[in-house]
Amino acid sequence: MKNNLKVQRAIKDLTQEDLAKLLGVSRQTINSIEKNRYVPSTVLALKLSKVFGITVNEIFELEDGN
Amino acid sequence: MSLSKIYYTFGPLNFTFSIMKDICESERNKLQRWGKFQLPNKYKKIGWSIIIGAFLLMIAKKFVDEPTWVKPVLRNVMILGFLMVSISKEKIEDELMASLRATSYRLALIIGVLYALVQPYITYGIESLIDPGNAELDNGYFQVLLYILLIQILFFNALKRTS
Repeated sequence: MKNNLKVQRAIKDLTQEDLAKLLGVSRQTINSIEKNRYVPSTVLALKLSKVFGITVNEIFELEDGN
Repeated sequence: MSLSKIYYTFGPLNFTFSIMKDICESERNKLQRWGKFQLPNKYKKIGWSIIIGAFLLMIAKKFVDEPTWVKPVLRNVMILGFLMVSISKEKIEDELMASLRATSYRLALIIGVLYALVQPYITYGIESLIDPGNAELDNGYFQVLLYILLIQILFFNALKRTS
């Protein structure tokens, strides 16, 4: 699964640290999601969509292998 | 079949299923609560202090005469310290940490079991080469390995049954 979290974060002018604080997670978690090393839970994905004001599908996208 | 007959046939069965469902629900909640048990982050430092303290005492006891019970007690204290470090929360304990923790426990279990299976044979082999008369195959890990694996299988099945 790929995502455009980094782009969405840049649009909102948020650092990884800022986003982590908004979501109540560590900066490492945000970094891992951005680098596709970690797939977040539905709850965290929904929280992300709420912060950016877009749907989950606009942030995350399934790849061929999924 | 009359309605009353249907009720008397399936009523108690439904009641039994309902009780079983409640038991399963309660069992699942308990297991999930226990599964999430963690110590606060400050216990990580306390744990490391205990480990270092026990280690220093183990070195120090080599230079003094001490009762036979000191060594096993220090070892147990050290293990307790490692357990505290293992189950203490991170500063920010989020879902990534929970996932990494679960992976690390899985790896630790598999590597630990393999090590405990192989290590006595390696020791036996080396002892056989050095002192063939006194070489002995120690099977001391059997009880703890069996216990850990049985508990894991039982918990997994209980969680699977109630999920």
